[in-house]
Amino acid sequence: MASVKISHITKSFGDNLVLKEFNDTFRDGEFVTLLGPSGCGKTTMLRIIAGFEKPTSGELYLDDLLVSGGKTFIPPEKRAIGMVFQSYAVWPHMNVFDNIAYPLAIRHTAKNEIRQNVERVLDIVHLKQYAERYPNQLSGGQQQRVALARALVAAPGLLLLDEPLSNLDAKLRESMRFEIKEIQKKTGITVVYVTHDQTEAMAMSDRIFLINRGVVQQSGTPEEIYNRPVNQFVADFLGKVDFFKGIAEEGRIVIPSMGGPVLPYHGDLRGNVDVAIRPENILFRDDGELCGALEAHYYLGDVEDCRVRVGDEIVRVIADGYGHASLNGRKEVRMHVRDMMVFKDDGALDEILMIRT
Amino acid sequence: MKEHSSLRREKPPIITKCALTALFLIGVLLLVSGLRGQRIIADDGFSSESAYRVIYSLSGHVGAVYRSHMKPDLDALEESDRAGVFSAARTLAVSAFETQSAGAGKDAEEAILLSAGREDETTLRLLYAAYLVSGPKINSSARKVIVAADSPEFRRQLLRCIVDDTLPLPAGSESAVGDLQGEAKKAMLMQVYFTATGSAGGQGAANANDFKKTVRDKGQQLLAFRMAARGEVSFLRQLITGHSKTIALLGIILLLDAVLLTLLMFSEKTWRFDIKWIFILLIVDFLLYFQMLPIVYMVIRSFFPEGGFTLDVFRRLYTEPINLEALKNTLISSFATMILGTLIAFPLAFLVGRTNLYGRKFFRSLFVITYMVPPYVGAMAWLRLMNPNVGTVNLWLRTLFGLSDAPGPLNVYTLSGMIWVLTTFYYPYAFITISRAMEKMDPSLEEASRVSGASPLKTLFTVTLPMMMPSLIGGALLVFISAASCYGIPSIVGINGNISTVTTRIVEYNGQSQAKMNDATALAVFLMAVALIILFISDVVLARKQYITVSGKSVRPSIVDLRRWRLPLTVMVCLFAVVMVVIPFTTILLTSLKGDIGKSVLDSGNFTLNNWTGIFTRNETISCLKNSLLFASCTATVGLVIACVMSYLMQRTRVRGRTIPNFLITLGSGTPSVVIALGLIITMRGNFGLDIYNTAWIMIIAYLIKYQMMGMRTVVSAMSQIHVSLEECSQVSGAGWLTTMRRVTGPLILPSIAAGWFLIFIPSFYELSMTALLYTGSTKTIGYQLFEYWTNHGEAMSCAMAFGILLIVVVLNFILGRLTRGEFSI
Repeated sequence: MASVKISHITKSFGDNLVLKEFNDTFRDGEFVTLLGPSGCGKTTMLRIIAGFEKPTSGELYLDDLLVSGGKTFIPPEKRAIGMVFQSYAVWPHMNVFDNIAYPLAIRHTAKNEIRQNVERVLDIVHLKQYAERYPNQLSGGQQQRVALARALVAAPGLLLLDEPLSNLDAKLRESMRFEIKEIQKKTGITVVYVTHDQTEAMAMSDRIFLINRGVVQQSGTPEEIYNRPVNQFVADFLGKVDFFKGIAEEGRIVIPSMGGPVLPYHGDLRGNVDVAIRPENILFRDDGELCGALEAHYYLGDVEDCRVRVGDEIVRVIADGYGHASLNGRKEVRMHVRDMMVFKDDGALDEILMIRT
Repeated sequence: MKEHSSLRREKPPIITKCALTALFLIGVLLLVSGLRGQRIIADDGFSSESAYRVIYSLSGHVGAVYRSHMKPDLDALEESDRAGVFSAARTLAVSAFETQSAGAGKDAEEAILLSAGREDETTLRLLYAAYLVSGPKINSSARKVIVAADSPEFRRQLLRCIVDDTLPLPAGSESAVGDLQGEAKKAMLMQVYFTATGSAGGQGAANANDFKKTVRDKGQQLLAFRMAARGEVSFLRQLITGHSKTIALLGIILLLDAVLLTLLMFSEKTWRFDIKWIFILLIVDFLLYFQMLPIVYMVIRSFFPEGGFTLDVFRRLYTEPINLEALKNTLISSFATMILGTLIAFPLAFLVGRTNLYGRKFFRSLFVITYMVPPYVGAMAWLRLMNPNVGTVNLWLRTLFGLSDAPGPLNVYTLSGMIWVLTTFYYPYAFITISRAMEKMDPSLEEASRVSGASPLKTLFTVTLPMMMPSLIGGALLVFISAASCYGIPSIVGINGNISTVTTRIVEYNGQSQAKMNDATALAVFLMAVALIILFISDVVLARKQYITVSGKSVRPSIVDLRRWRLPLTVMVCLFAVVMVVIPFTTILLTSLKGDIGKSVLDSGNFTLNNWTGIFTRNETISCLKNSLLFASCTATVGLVIACVMSYLMQRTRVRGRTIPNFLITLGSGTPSVVIALGLIITMRGNFGLDIYNTAWIMIIAYLIKYQMMGMRTVVSAMSQIHVSLEECSQVSGAGWLTTMRRVTGPLILPSIAAGWFLIFIPSFYELSMTALLYTGSTKTIGYQLFEYWTNHGEAMSCAMAFGILLIVVVLNFILGRLTRGEFSI
């Protein structure tokens, strides 16, 4: 299996800087996701790892072997990696078997060994009975699995996935998510996964790199970046969040626009702050510190999506859907904030909220 | 709502049903009366209907003239009196002939038939007038024979032969006309007769075209007189008989329309009339009459040359050495051009489209531009370069290798010379097809191969090439059929080299005797069969195999890094461009500036602009240029109107049958030019209701059939790129259909409309193959004028003219490139 060491990689197309100082190491057997809005540079990073782009500066090591950087450049075909493309890139002029056998055929593997290996991966992706079919006889999901099988057949140490699920429908996407994760667990392969879908990233990754405008905003486990975002962008990109302007003091935060309620606070920030509250962290409780008028509530089955007016602000609350009947007919509600994130107000918030994807 | 529509399915609205039935009945009525008209003509023993047509159109006038001379009530006349009237009418006819210095081509034969049995002075004068008009070229040995046998008895015999076709031929003329039959024989005999009487035979031959034109204008008056003499002036009868073929054809077309409409409505299961069908039917009718009728008629004619079924015409193709030679030459040269052209085009398309070659964009537009250059210009250049005696390249090679002054080593006047010239002008067809497919290919298909461990070269052969195969074959077939139907290059190269191809044969045979026209028809049918097979393969078989490789994202093809090969390959492509483009066109330019074309342009006193000023101040050049501009503009404008209607129907409606015109238009553009022209010649001279032979219309229609598709595809693809929601949004905003077209759709597709216009205009402007068959003295175009100049006059002047045409085309191309950003389809 393989590790990927990225050392100060920068990439620009002409004057356009798309990747700035990427510097990290993907460990052996790790499932890493590069997450970010479209155009953030995540696909460029993946293509640099694959060898389809050369970094403008910096070095890339696969298993401690320098593959890109300085005068060294090892072309994609010599890097021994597997890759699944967003469009699947299943060759229409070859049947499923030939498509999958291709990486082995290129290496002049013996016929029976090819057969064995192809059957092995066909089994993994549940396509055994489709070996003789041509791509135009397969559904999108099946083509996607052919592409995956082809990427896996030569047993590469590193698997690159470029938004592989974005062309599938919602149900299939969900089941493929777990299949990919299962395969990764089974084979122990290192995976670099590119997506703009935060749910996918959260569900599969050991580590997520959240990228915006070519800069890594934060990297960490899904739990870390969801619960302890380092800035407003990260907080906003993952999950749902409402921002409020507040003033931090010793032991408390006051939010003037809400009519001055006081939230307990034990952090170190003082003065103007951005308070970020996730809707699921607000609970309806009769002894809550916030008081507001219930403006609207939408029953979504598993949850109840509510809008509550507190002072001049509309606060979103996601409540347990089971108790929705109790909200019917109520005007006044009290709420408790069980968790919140506090950032220094650097004036960048409005801009960040504008590029929300 | 749903119930409502299903109700509608059950019961067709009564109005539509009535209209359909009415249409059907009118069609039947017209067909029947047309056929009845034909019967009347047949009963009267006339083979031409034009007499009736003329009497109808001139009945008022002629009737008055006639009555003022004769006054009698024809019906009341006794048999003997009638003969008197008849004779008077003939005298009138003769005076009409002579005062207008014309008779009537085929129609004159009718006049002669009328005179059956009357071997008097009037008949002779009639015959003389007829000969002046319709005498085709007489073969000189026959003339000699006849002139030698100049006796009154012989003449008398001959006249009887011509008139009733019963008596044996006089000994002398038998050998000259013996193997001819029917009309051709009659015409030949007539010539022979007049040659024998020694009456000004040369005049007719020298000015045949002018005579024919006069006949068309004036000759009908003669027949009007004759009809008046017969007293057949009832209005309805005149109408039916005078236009019997037109009426019958109109009936058939209406019937077809009615059947088509019924089928459409039946398959739609709604008996509602859609106004859009009128447009579809109009276009279909137009194409049926001007495109399908000539082609179908030509095929029928080739199997039934004299009315009965025979394969003789085709057998002659194999047995006549000259035809067999032409067939062989065409197949060999087209096949070789296809192989050579594709071998050049594929690597070139790859280098220019998919590698980091220096100056790719420049090379791309350079190679694409050659596609738009008239092929005969290139042929002229290569003739200058590879002339076995004085060709520039040959001179270089001789000095370079110290060869003797013997002709060679290269000779353009050979089959291989012709293949070379064809290749230089038809490889862009493959180049454009292949590079478009290459640029549209999803790059991740190749990247997937790279990641799988294949080198760029291996990827090229295992992924790129197999996926390109349908386009590659499509491009190759396009080169094949273009080379096979090319007339300009074989005609220019072949004249000196004595190499004939199917196209040059057809043009040569045109207008000659019936037997040769039959040969031309058979050759054309052969060429068309080849074209149809190729059209079928590339549009049906290959299209089905075409892999859909266009990805949803905007495609940025992955560029192969040539590394240390970058410079050498760029130099190679440069050299190629110099050989293919720079040298030929420079040669043309330099030759046009020479006083003595044997010397260098730098020799003292040899540089001159006289050729340029000479050629472009000639009245004939100017009038040809005017003709070309006028015809091409007409073609482009009409084509564009059809293209706009079609693109709207294809892209914005789901109306059934909208692909029928599309299919017909594709078929038309796939038909070789000479086939279209020949088909029009044999059907549009009045025998199917419309006589536009020897007019500008027949040329415009021919251009339209051949080039309309280019314009249509451009507009259709532009329309397909405008999402329908843009229009819907405008409608939702309150704009009507017309406002939406004017404010939203119109401005968006305007560049493509202009581009489509130029795409039809440019090839029509310099067209040669069809013009060579269809032109007359007054409708000569610049392309044909140049061709004539090259074959009959100086090379220097024709080079000046060629370069002038080239400049016009390049300027138009530049405009076109601006409008489409280099993306146009063929």
